[in-house]
Amino acid sequence: MTMHELARVTLENEMDLILAHKRSMKLAELAGLSLSAQTTFATAVSEVSRNTIDSGKGGCLILNVESEQRDKYIVACVKDEQTTTGKSPEGLEYAKRLVNKYRISTQGAETSIELYYYIAPNFRIDIAKLDEWRSHFRNEPPVSPYEELKRKNAQLQDLSEKIQKSEAQYRTLTNALPIFIFSLDNNGALLYANEWLLRFTGETLDYLNKSRWQTVVYQDDYETFSNLLYNTVTRGTAARQTQVRIKNKNNGAYIWHQVSLTPFKDADNHVQYWIGYIVDIHTQKVYEATLKDNIQLKQTQEQLKEQQSIQEKYIEELNRSNLELQQFAFIASHDLQEPVRKLLFYSDYLLNRYTNAIDTKGIEYLTSMQHAAQRMRNLIQDLLIFSQINKEAITFKSVDLNEIVSEAQQDFEMAIEEKKATITVQSLPVINGDRRMMKQLFENILSNALKYSKSDVPPVIDITYRKTDDQIEFAFKDNGIGFDEKYLPRMFILFQRLHNREAYAGTGLGLAICRKIVEMHQGKIWAEAKEGVGAVFYVSLPIQVLKNQN
Amino acid sequence: MKAWKILLVDDDAEDRAIIEDAMASVNTEGIIYFAENGEQALAILDTFLDAENTPCLVVLDLNMPKMNGTETLRNMKKNERFREIPVIIYSTSINSLEKEKCMQLGAHDYITKPVSINESRETAKRFYEFCK
Repeated sequence: MTMHELARVTLENEMDLILAHKRSMKLAELAGLSLSAQTTFATAVSEVSRNTIDSGKGGCLILNVESEQRDKYIVACVKDEQTTTGKSPEGLEYAKRLVNKYRISTQGAETSIELYYYIAPNFRIDIAKLDEWRSHFRNEPPVSPYEELKRKNAQLQDLSEKIQKSEAQYRTLTNALPIFIFSLDNNGALLYANEWLLRFTGETLDYLNKSRWQTVVYQDDYETFSNLLYNTVTRGTAARQTQVRIKNKNNGAYIWHQVSLTPFKDADNHVQYWIGYIVDIHTQKVYEATLKDNIQLKQTQEQLKEQQSIQEKYIEELNRSNLELQQFAFIASHDLQEPVRKLLFYSDYLLNRYTNAIDTKGIEYLTSMQHAAQRMRNLIQDLLIFSQINKEAITFKSVDLNEIVSEAQQDFEMAIEEKKATITVQSLPVINGDRRMMKQLFENILSNALKYSKSDVPPVIDITYRKTDDQIEFAFKDNGIGFDEKYLPRMFILFQRLHNREAYAGTGLGLAICRKIVEMHQGKIWAEAKEGVGAVFYVSLPIQVLKNQN
Repeated sequence: MKAWKILLVDDDAEDRAIIEDAMASVNTEGIIYFAENGEQALAILDTFLDAENTPCLVVLDLNMPKMNGTETLRNMKKNERFREIPVIIYSTSINSLEKEKCMQLGAHDYITKPVSINESRETAKRFYEFCK
């Protein structure tokens, strides 16, 4: 059994009853029935429909055609949401008699009454004809303004349902996207904001409008943002965009976003409202910043490299000039010794052999000259020593420091006796070093201790040493005149003297020589002192000097 | 008192005179050979080498033209005939590196040239030690 629906009529009031009658008449007419048959069918439908309108609920008439191989019918189906079984109204009984066949069925609360009326067997019914009938019913001019209204209503209802459905889809879509989507009126006030925007900022739409976004947009970016939102929007008509930082409610971090606004225009090109979206571009921003940093880093690196090569050149230059200076100092001091010695010898000769020929004043001058020559000789000798302390001249060998000290003591025998000095020495280790330089070092320190002694107190010099984890530290303690420690930084520099030469003889090279020797041995030299109490000179050498001895 | 028999090798005539003076003040008797450089010194040694004339000491200055002190010393030590003659290095400089080198080459001593008459006498006395 194939039932083809052709038209529907809702059954709610008297007007619907007229419509039901009229549609039934038409269907019978289209099916090629006689006028009397048309009337009979329409009357039957009217009878059943009246019942539904009177006592039923949500009733509806559906007009169909049933076409089978043998039999063809026009069928009126009256549906009623409320069951009326058990009570067979008068109208229905009458209608049963008017039609060829009927069927009453109930499904849940719904009752359905079908009225069948024969169509002539030779009447041709096909799909095309059915379509034609359907369109006929659809385009049937309204019977009354009521029907017209009703039809428009139904159309609107249908459209509204469709729009609602589509809007719901869009809403779901905009809420699901991890971007901010919103619309603005021409004053920049939010009309709509998707969930993501509200969730990210943690604010309501009303609050955003009231606060003009001030609490969520980063302070430095707010002017740009507010310009875009409240000035561009009110004046412009073209799409705009800018980049601002927006606060994430969850962690309080300001994240870079790109804000884009597009005007939504009507047919007359007037801006109705603005559509906006805001996208997280933080990663891109960070990437850009990193890239920029990288470029700067590279530039800095290149500058450093350049600087380094310049420095290397300077060092090379310095080394070269240092070597030249060293050679010059050696040659100069070496060759200067000869004339100075002659000066000394002949002034002595004059003072000894020509005493009678020179007056007192002359002898005085001659003596001054001799003293000056002596100082010059000392200076030259110290310079020579200084120039010979260099990497080229150093030879590492086993050096017994006890031997070094006793040799130095022998060298100073006269001074020690003269000053009644006491020198106590702890048993010293054997180290790996340059013997000549070590002797020079010990001699210079001892010489200083003897030289800068108090005139009325015999010098007491104590030489000790101790080992630390990585150093071996020697201490030379005396009870001399000491010095103010503020002079320490200058003391180990060439030609620095703390005392005038009248009081204490010296070239000002002694400690500079010491420092150079110690540095050649990768060690350190420093001092502690107190004026009028004495001084302690310290020399520390790396502990390695105790190993690998040849 | 035994007489001098010394070879003094020095290119500086003044220095030679100073030492000659000082030596005379210690002992006027003796022979002092003079040479102005190493080459001359070796030639003199070669000529006068016999029991009668062989010097009991060679005093060598270091800075000399043609053949300097250390080279002369090295040559003497290479020659069997001269090897046993004592050598004193007699230099202006108190260069400890140089002194070390000379002592290693076989010099008996390293003496710095005098800066006074007294010192010159002391030096002469030290030389005379080898002639006794």
